[in-house]
Amino acid sequence: MSLSKLAAGILRKRIPTTPLCAYTSRSNSTSVQANPKKPDWNRAVSEAEKIVGYPNSFLSLRWLLSDEIANVALQLRKLVGSNHPLLKTAKGLLYNGKNNMQAWGLIVLLVSKAAGHSPDIPDMEQDKSAGVLHSQRALAEVTEMIRTSHLVHKGLVNLQPPIKVDALGDMISGNKIALLSGDYLLSNSCVELANLKNQELVELMSSAVRDLAEAEFVEPRDIQNAPLPAKPRSDGKGYAKFVESNMEPLAVGEALGDARAEWTMRHVLNAGSLLGKSCQGTLKLAGHSPELQQKGYLFGKHLALAWQACLDREPFSPGSTGSFSLISAPVLFTLQHNPDTYSLIEKGLDDIEKVDFGAVRKAVLDGPGLEITKVLQKEHSQAALEVLNELRDCDARTALKNIIVAMQD
Amino acid sequence: MSKAMQMLWEIEMRSASVVGLWKVKKSCRWMIRRGSSSCGRLTTVSTMASAGCGRLCARVHEKLCQWGQSQISRKPSSARGKFGFFTPIRNFSDDATKAQALKNAVAAAATTASSGCWHPCVRPEAPGTARTFATMRTQQPGSLPDYQVDPYALLEDDLRDVYEYIKNVLRRNTFQDNLYEIATYYFDGHGKALRPMVTILMARAINYHVYKENRNELLPAQREVAMISEMIHTASLVHDDVIDQSDFRRGKPSVNVKWNHKKVTMAGDFILAVASMMIARLRNNDVTSVLSQVVSDLVQGEFMQLGSKETENERFAHYLQKTYRKTASLIANSVKSVAILAECDEKTTEISYQYGKNIGLGFQLVDDLLDFVSSSEAMGKPTAADLKLGLATAPVLFACEKYPELNPMIMRRFQEPGDVEKAFELVHESRGLQQTQFLARQHCQEAVRYANLIEESPYQKALIVTADYVLNRMK
Repeated sequence: MSLSKLAAGILRKRIPTTPLCAYTSRSNSTSVQANPKKPDWNRAVSEAEKIVGYPNSFLSLRWLLSDEIANVALQLRKLVGSNHPLLKTAKGLLYNGKNNMQAWGLIVLLVSKAAGHSPDIPDMEQDKSAGVLHSQRALAEVTEMIRTSHLVHKGLVNLQPPIKVDALGDMISGNKIALLSGDYLLSNSCVELANLKNQELVELMSSAVRDLAEAEFVEPRDIQNAPLPAKPRSDGKGYAKFVESNMEPLAVGEALGDARAEWTMRHVLNAGSLLGKSCQGTLKLAGHSPELQQKGYLFGKHLALAWQACLDREPFSPGSTGSFSLISAPVLFTLQHNPDTYSLIEKGLDDIEKVDFGAVRKAVLDGPGLEITKVLQKEHSQAALEVLNELRDCDARTALKNIIVAMQD
Repeated sequence: MSKAMQMLWEIEMRSASVVGLWKVKKSCRWMIRRGSSSCGRLTTVSTMASAGCGRLCARVHEKLCQWGQSQISRKPSSARGKFGFFTPIRNFSDDATKAQALKNAVAAAATTASSGCWHPCVRPEAPGTARTFATMRTQQPGSLPDYQVDPYALLEDDLRDVYEYIKNVLRRNTFQDNLYEIATYYFDGHGKALRPMVTILMARAINYHVYKENRNELLPAQREVAMISEMIHTASLVHDDVIDQSDFRRGKPSVNVKWNHKKVTMAGDFILAVASMMIARLRNNDVTSVLSQVVSDLVQGEFMQLGSKETENERFAHYLQKTYRKTASLIANSVKSVAILAECDEKTTEISYQYGKNIGLGFQLVDDLLDFVSSSEAMGKPTAADLKLGLATAPVLFACEKYPELNPMIMRRFQEPGDVEKAFELVHESRGLQQTQFLARQHCQEAVRYANLIEESPYQKALIVTADYVLNRMK
């Protein structure tokens, strides 16, 4: 992303590598620490990028031409040295790029190529060398813009009156920039989507933005809006039991308290919905049947969930001491297995810093949470692979499979 | 590429025409994309655009404002209850109130409906404009139709359920009460509902214009656009509150005081997303394009507010363009959308767009003026708020002419102790407020001129009355 590249140019020069403080250490739970690079993963991704032509740099060029971005870069520079989480978000976008961000647009492009498009579409609208439509490439950009915008908005600091922070001025201007940059990306997505002149697609992608916003309201939350697990309950309904229609909002309350349902609901809102709807949308652009579009949605959703499960497991892998999210699957399953552990969580309902993460880690390592998460990941990977098997064999399909396999290692 | 950027930047700073500038920018982006061969032409375009905006322009403006002085008038009317347009006499002007004078002005604007140029900062032919206005004053207007139409009364049925409907839509899009509560906080019926009002008025006026008696009904899609305009507006208010750290809005604590800032930001995104879904459901490519442009304008306007320009003329151009993007674009494009939905010809669509643009600019100019003269009680938010935020609005920019000591204050965004008070005082001592009002009047007169191009109907008359409200409101 060009925004992050700009930011990174500044960051590389000046940011000390250990700026972690109370705010930065928790800014976003989804951009989980990149483990020491997995070679297989990287190879899978970079090979996949070649298949669909250039990755997403096309967009960057246009962004650099706009004065708004120049303005952002100026303002960002003022923030260097402060500890606003926006800087961490920007850094995360860059350094986790391969693992996290860039791959989203890539997946959309790979799905586009793997599924092909209807013969009615005029040559003008095709990017022959890459085997995708121009509109599909635009959609892939929109997907990334929406995702980045969400991450940037999530990186705001809550400055609501009773809260006292050091360097209030920095925090206010950091929030201002984060909010505006996010809005800028969002408004760009609006315009790009409108240009595609497909109202069903606009509706679909707007509902994905809605879902992302909804994700930030799933309770309980601490004072900085960091999520905590809900109290486990024995009568929880399985996620499969409530309807999952594409456009309707999820019945959030019903899922809380049941580990699997809660995890699925939170991460469908947070990630699965956007990737699923983007894959669905790209098939819509290609003129495929509603049935295949729906399969596209399932593929994206399952892939995002498999991905999330994989990321959730990483901090608990042998030798890892990385920080972890309290709503990660291993933690939720551990709580469900042993509801007494919830007392550890309750201490942090105001401020997750008060949770004894060491004790939670120990409880997770002692319980069955990691094993169940592994099974969970496998199920979602499997479901994604099943959709792929219905497509014709081609290089894009192989690349998608490689990515899923690389994730499982 | 950096050279290209520089060029864009320069054009942005030099030219003043709001719409013209947008076109210039668009076309030069296009040229840049196509390669650098057309650079020569590019320069010509930018020079043309900047021709009218020299110091001359400011002078002409000063002159115009002096002429305009004798025209300043307010029409006293009864206080409005629910929606709150009421217009007692303002005390910042040394001119007496004359309802007749306003009527003259309105009529004059109407009679010169065919004259194209009028805005000294927008068109290069500014001196000609001055003459037009001078002539206007001496013209004897004929008898005026009775303009006692109250737009809010006229649309009572249409407007009654606007907020309820919006709340229902938001309710259907989330099962989470905490999100619903924040998202609906400003849909409490205490706003002026200006955007839905103007949008519905225009929709009905255009429907009559095109179909006469054959279509008395508002199309459901047009009603949706009215809701959408209010939702986009509110989403931007919610984000503005977080950006500006404001304490009060519409007489109650603003959202960022009551809730977690992260949640407030997301609630803004949520409102926008739902509005965007509603837009998509209209299934009209043109309307979606037009309304997505609004969102983009709003954000770019906010970005413009972060920066300031070095010289006076650049600053004024910057200010006008920011005002267009932050306020006028939404109104202009909403009324344009309802015109598109009425399937009228392009000329009529353009009329409605121009009407909305001018009403929007007039509205914001009056808003900036009220920030200096109104009490915080009437406004429901603190006054001199713009200065405190470091923003130099029209009254300050005009006051600069007489008190150049304001320049350094503007550049440092009124950050030093005493700056805000001093600037406030200087604005009141200068003619900045009258000049701002005059400019607002010009826009409202221009709006009236466009409204008069629409077939006469109660709704069309209400559009004219609305221009009057916008100019003479006290909150």
